[in-house]
Amino acid sequence: MYQLINHSRAKFKQAVALATINLKSFPHRAIASSVSILSIACVAAVILSVLAMTQGMVKTLERTGLDDTLIVMRAGAVSELQSVMFPVEVNILANNKQVLKNSDNQAMVSAEMFVNAEMSHIDKSGEKHIEKLALRGISKNTYGFRPNFNMIAGEKFKTGLRQVIIGQAIARKIPTLTVGTTITLGGARWLISGIFTDNNSVFESELWADIGMVQSDYQRGNTLQSVRLALKANTDIAQLNQEWQDDPRLNLRIMLEKQFFANQAENLTRLIRWIGFPVAFIMALGAMIAALNTMYATIASRSKEIATHKAIGFSAFSICFSILIEALLIALVGALLGILPLYFIFDGWTASTQDANNLSQMMFNFELSMDLIIQTLLFSITIGLLGGILPAIKAMRLPVTVALRDN
Amino acid sequence: MQTNNPNKIAIQLKKINKSYQKGSNNVVVHDNFNLSIAEGEFVALMGPSGLGKSTLLHLIGGLDLPTSGHVIIDDQRIDTLSEGKLSIWRAENIGFVFQSHHLLPVLTAQGNVELPLLLTPLDSKQRKQHASLALRLVGMEERANHLPKELSGGQEQRVAIARAIVSDPKIILCDEPTGNLDRKTADEILTLLAALNKDYGKTIVMVTHDLRASEYASRVINLEQHIEEGKQSQLSAVEVNS
Repeated sequence: MYQLINHSRAKFKQAVALATINLKSFPHRAIASSVSILSIACVAAVILSVLAMTQGMVKTLERTGLDDTLIVMRAGAVSELQSVMFPVEVNILANNKQVLKNSDNQAMVSAEMFVNAEMSHIDKSGEKHIEKLALRGISKNTYGFRPNFNMIAGEKFKTGLRQVIIGQAIARKIPTLTVGTTITLGGARWLISGIFTDNNSVFESELWADIGMVQSDYQRGNTLQSVRLALKANTDIAQLNQEWQDDPRLNLRIMLEKQFFANQAENLTRLIRWIGFPVAFIMALGAMIAALNTMYATIASRSKEIATHKAIGFSAFSICFSILIEALLIALVGALLGILPLYFIFDGWTASTQDANNLSQMMFNFELSMDLIIQTLLFSITIGLLGGILPAIKAMRLPVTVALRDN
Repeated sequence: MQTNNPNKIAIQLKKINKSYQKGSNNVVVHDNFNLSIAEGEFVALMGPSGLGKSTLLHLIGGLDLPTSGHVIIDDQRIDTLSEGKLSIWRAENIGFVFQSHHLLPVLTAQGNVELPLLLTPLDSKQRKQHASLALRLVGMEERANHLPKELSGGQEQRVAIARAIVSDPKIILCDEPTGNLDRKTADEILTLLAALNKDYGKTIVMVTHDLRASEYASRVINLEQHIEEGKQSQLSAVEVNS
């Protein structure tokens, strides 16, 4: 007769031994567990997609805008597209003492035009493609407000000519748009003179051209839509705002550029979360029920085996634990089945969405970072554990005499 | 081999009442049942179906608890133990052999026999040695690496017996161990159990319908008769007292 050790470490050892034996027979139950595995895989894929999409968008918008730059638009406008401003207003703003001056003693101001443009181009096979893209009319000063701006192909557009430079995100999404390609914007033909990067910011989803040419082609006269101002350090924004609000010549809304894009990110991600997470939640419930069913079926088919373990002397805890381990394994296999294809196919993939504010496309990268993968894994495992806990308790309470007698 | 004291009572069931609820009916399985089995006995519990033979085996093995009464094994009351303590007690003291061997299909004969040793402090090498020894005792050492599906019914039952004895329990409880076997194989299994009783001093309680069991067991208890005798002695006791 062997003396057993009755302490928690021994119980845990027992549980692990039993779980190992159960795992050996898992391949026999893999097909029966496939519904559960697939359900969890779908949930993991949806959750990870929503998280990756949200993270991709947030990061793209977070990389956009500067902390010390003020964006000014017409009062009431929530986006540049909705705003209209006049040169006289730009002059008043530029003359404010809080606005920084460059080495030529000129105010650091960038007046910009923003158009939701229909861009068409013909590819090599002669097929015509139409895309809604953001066309930004800029001046030379604008480059001073884009410290991460960098030309990666071709050259900057020339003032007074119908030339555009395109963001890298557009070039990646539409590979036929290369330097030297001609596109149609607003009924006129424009030449792509270069491709630029801007630290993967939202600006990489835009076409930039000479503001004068854009105003002319889109018949906007001398109006513009937004103004960017570089401010002196420690400028009291609230006081500046009050000053301009009190000026009867102005009717403006001001905001730090960084804050402006952060708000846009919040609006976009809220929309995705409102749609994505309820869908994922309902799917998670379904997956949990599938896991529950699978584990109940497993226990029913193995009741004699479990009863034999109990008769031999395995504790109720070790039996419960071994069932939970199996539920965990199902969840883990399901989660990996959902995550891995997504990771290998979509990590870094450029997706686009319609920016609700600007009505043009915003491109962003799916970012399947390790923390998102771990979050998804944990969520899937939780589903598996929740689905396994009731069956595990049932197995723990299984009446041995009934299970053994049932021949 | 264990040294037995034939005068020492190994198993004692005292005033056992066992009933269970079936729907709205209370089904009485045992009413004031008494039984004593000495150390080193090989007892065959026989009788018609429905008398509660398996229930007795489950009570002795701590798989079930009496509604009232005492189950005393080796001077220890086990009917008062918690479920956790009963598990440990079973692992230390009892070996079970079932009619359907209940071997794990994914484990080899060796693996199945090692199973109860997972509850002991033995390391992997020691477990293997002990399991090999148990398999040798039941004549299955050459089939150690076979899966249950590669074994015959008799061989599977031998492996189940090896599993029951591997942790060297004092008591082996067998529930219809020959129920699924042909005559020749059943005789082999009964011979094996008798050898474990005689040569290794195991106390064996076997529930069986097999009439040949009496040739192997040291005592045959016909449960129907035993219950009747119990009732008579109770009546006599009442008459004497009155």
